Amino acid sequence: MKRAKPIWLISMLLVMALLAGCGGDSSPDQPEPQPESQPTASVQSEAVPTVNTTTPSLPSPTPEEPSPAEPAQPESPKPANNPFRLENVPAYSGQAYVALNENTPYFDISNLSAKSYENYSPLDALGRCGTATACIGQDLMPTEERGSIGQVKPSGWHTVRYDCVDGKYLYNRCHLIGYQLTAENANTSNLITGTRYLNIEGMLPFENMTADYIKETGNRVEYHVTPVFEGDNLLASGVLMEGYSVEDQGDGVCFCVFAYNVQPGVTIDYATGDSTLDGAASTAAPAESKTESASSTSESSAPTPEPAPEPIESQQTEQEPQGNTYILNTNTKKFHYPSCSSVKQMKESNKQVYTGSREDIISQGYDPCKKCNP
Amino acid sequence: MKIIVCVDDNLGVMFNHRRQSQDRVLREKVLEMAAGRPLWMNSYSAKVFGTLPDISVAEDFLDKAQEGDFCFVEETPIAGYEQSIEEIILFKWNRVYPADVHFGFPDQNKFKLIETCDFAGSSHEKITMEVYSL
Repeated sequence: MKRAKPIWLISMLLVMALLAGCGGDSSPDQPEPQPESQPTASVQSEAVPTVNTTTPSLPSPTPEEPSPAEPAQPESPKPANNPFRLENVPAYSGQAYVALNENTPYFDISNLSAKSYENYSPLDALGRCGTATACIGQDLMPTEERGSIGQVKPSGWHTVRYDCVDGKYLYNRCHLIGYQLTAENANTSNLITGTRYLNIEGMLPFENMTADYIKETGNRVEYHVTPVFEGDNLLASGVLMEGYSVEDQGDGVCFCVFAYNVQPGVTIDYATGDSTLDGAASTAAPAESKTESASSTSESSAPTPEPAPEPIESQQTEQEPQGNTYILNTNTKKFHYPSCSSVKQMKESNKQVYTGSREDIISQGYDPCKKCNP
Repeated sequence: MKIIVCVDDNLGVMFNHRRQSQDRVLREKVLEMAAGRPLWMNSYSAKVFGTLPDISVAEDFLDKAQEGDFCFVEETPIAGYEQSIEEIILFKWNRVYPADVHFGFPDQNKFKLIETCDFAGSSHEKITMEVYSL
């Protein structure tokens, strides 16, 4: 059951908000903070996982001064001497993910949290996500249907469609830690721009495996996901996913993989998120696709050093009508128009009413019904 | 022998030397199905089934199984035993999990689907059982 957020997390966010509000650069006339001022961003092109791969930036719950009224909070394992380097990851060769470090997490498995927790790194100066970590138990898992996330525009976001992509849309809003694990909806610190292929072929299998293990055994899984950005790229090259079951010391779940943020048939510019169909002339907006960038200067080739936008209604796109109602079949993972004849045949226990964008549903692993073609 | 295998949508079975998934109701169904006949498996599988008198444990169980015996197969390759297989019982998770070991279905022209049924597991909404026979 999804419980209320830990008090310490809320406290931490309040403290961060206060600090931000008290900063000398809070005036709207002041320039945005420069990347080098951000401790979480290492944008040296040679030091590959720019954000957080060697030292994932975990929000500090200030353990040195715990509130007397609150119990000490669990800390995530320290990624001491994490040797992960993007340059050591084999080039994509047709497999959605590749095992690293003999499929054993880089984090310290000898000192795992005794309690469930979840941490999401703040966005860096370029608006990019950092490492998300959690010790996931049944208490963090969702008890209600997922809400809309269509208003979030993660760094590198473009709304682009290609016929060669399952579901048409090249990019999904990929949860670093999947909704089925920690029930996070439109958490901007947990959503990156990822290809449909990354979302479905690369990440979803690990989320499924972890979620079903937790549901079946009641055990918990230490679970870390790190988006790996090269230099100042706005689009992640991929994600480092690490998982380790706690109570049985990894007997049930143990993995360390890199999932590639690629889409077969499409060439991607990771600096901006622009893309072209393989074999097509190099254009920012392929003739067969419609695009909209997260940036207001959508076709600019220069990265826009601004945080990923918060929900802004004006940024909704024509391709993403918001507020449509669909019927999900949680069993077959198909979605339908409410008027579809298949809905009448659906078991009530499998039926779920969903209001949101088509893309959101697809990003959750659902496929459109071939009969009503929503 | 009758082999029993749990697979995902891509016929995946294992990842990183670990089963992709498990389900208590599925195990009960396997025990029920094999009731009265030997049910063979290796020690890795037996660990999750628990110590039961109906289960025969051996690392080379595919060599020991006789005609009509059930064999619960996870990490053990069936290559080389195709001629001894009378029946294949697939339990499908109806999900995609990571996989680095896949089930190599023997000659699909040789085996015919004779039974299929869906049931709810303890942690899986729908598990599909398919029985293939010679």
